[in-house]
Amino acid sequence: MTMVDKDIEDSILETHFAAARCANTVLPAGLAARMLADADRVQAESLRVGEGALAGAGRWRQLLALLGGWPAMGGLATACAAGVWIGVSPPDFLPDPVGLMAEQNSSVNLLDSYALSSVLPEDG
Amino acid sequence: MARAGIISGPPGARGVTAAPSGGEDAELSDDALVALFANGDERAARVLTARLGPKAYSVALRVLGNRAEAEDAAQEAMLRLWRMAPDWRPGEAQVSTWLYRVVMNLCLDRKRHGKRAGAVPLDAVPDPADPGPGAAERMQDGARTDALQAALLTLPERQRQAVVLRHIEELSNPEIAGIMEISVEAVESLTARGKRTLAAALAGRQAELGYDNG
Repeated sequence: MTMVDKDIEDSILETHFAAARCANTVLPAGLAARMLADADRVQAESLRVGEGALAGAGRWRQLLALLGGWPAMGGLATACAAGVWIGVSPPDFLPDPVGLMAEQNSSVNLLDSYALSSVLPEDG
Repeated sequence: MARAGIISGPPGARGVTAAPSGGEDAELSDDALVALFANGDERAARVLTARLGPKAYSVALRVLGNRAEAEDAAQEAMLRLWRMAPDWRPGEAQVSTWLYRVVMNLCLDRKRHGKRAGAVPLDAVPDPADPGPGAAERMQDGARTDALQAALLTLPERQRQAVVLRHIEELSNPEIAGIMEISVEAVESLTARGKRTLAAALAGRQAELGYDNG
């Protein structure tokens, strides 16, 4: 095939393609309606599933959301762990809780030798 | 593309129009419309159907050559779009490219399962809806379209897909490579071989199709 023949061939083919492109391919009315009906059905199912998941979440999920979600829960857990650790192994400047528990009860008389009647004398 | 968004029924039928009547939704990207649909916006489905439905149907009709089969494939492709909407990641791919890929795979599946009709209905491609050229020109365009469709159906499946996407849907080679999941070079090879076969198939009908005087 010569170059001229190929050009003619391409030109004829392009005329066919152009005719096909111009033949407005319309969406049949029934097909459009079926596509939209599918869309409505899938959308309704999807929304129903979403609402069901939210309703089934329960009180714990609501509490979690109230506290600020998982990031807030992470901070809370860290604080709890630090508190427990300080209790078990306190730093030097804090009293030993085990020692405190072993101490006996004692009483101190703040008024010493003063009688209550002298501190609160009656008038007249 | 001029054909996208045109939805009409058969003559005399009550029009079912999914085309947007204008407004903000028609200006939104496909990504945004898919997100709106996933969030429960009903209008998004109408705009997406008007925008993408004709593309899905058109390409299926060209590849399958049968109206009923093309309608089934296009409806199934759009159904997958609706189901995929909540998981769609904007910006990763074009919705239209994804849809073309789904349609092409559905067409291949139908061929594998022997569902494709062998004969080409003469009315497989409807007449132009808009009055433009005269009656004689319309008839000639119709004859050329029918002849092209008959020739397309003689091509191997992948060649036909590549030719339809390149020369009728007017997609770029990289886009087609993404849709067909092959290299750009493979697309070029498929379209070149397809065009040679089409030219040979149409060569004997030049006089009949109005090419006798050049």
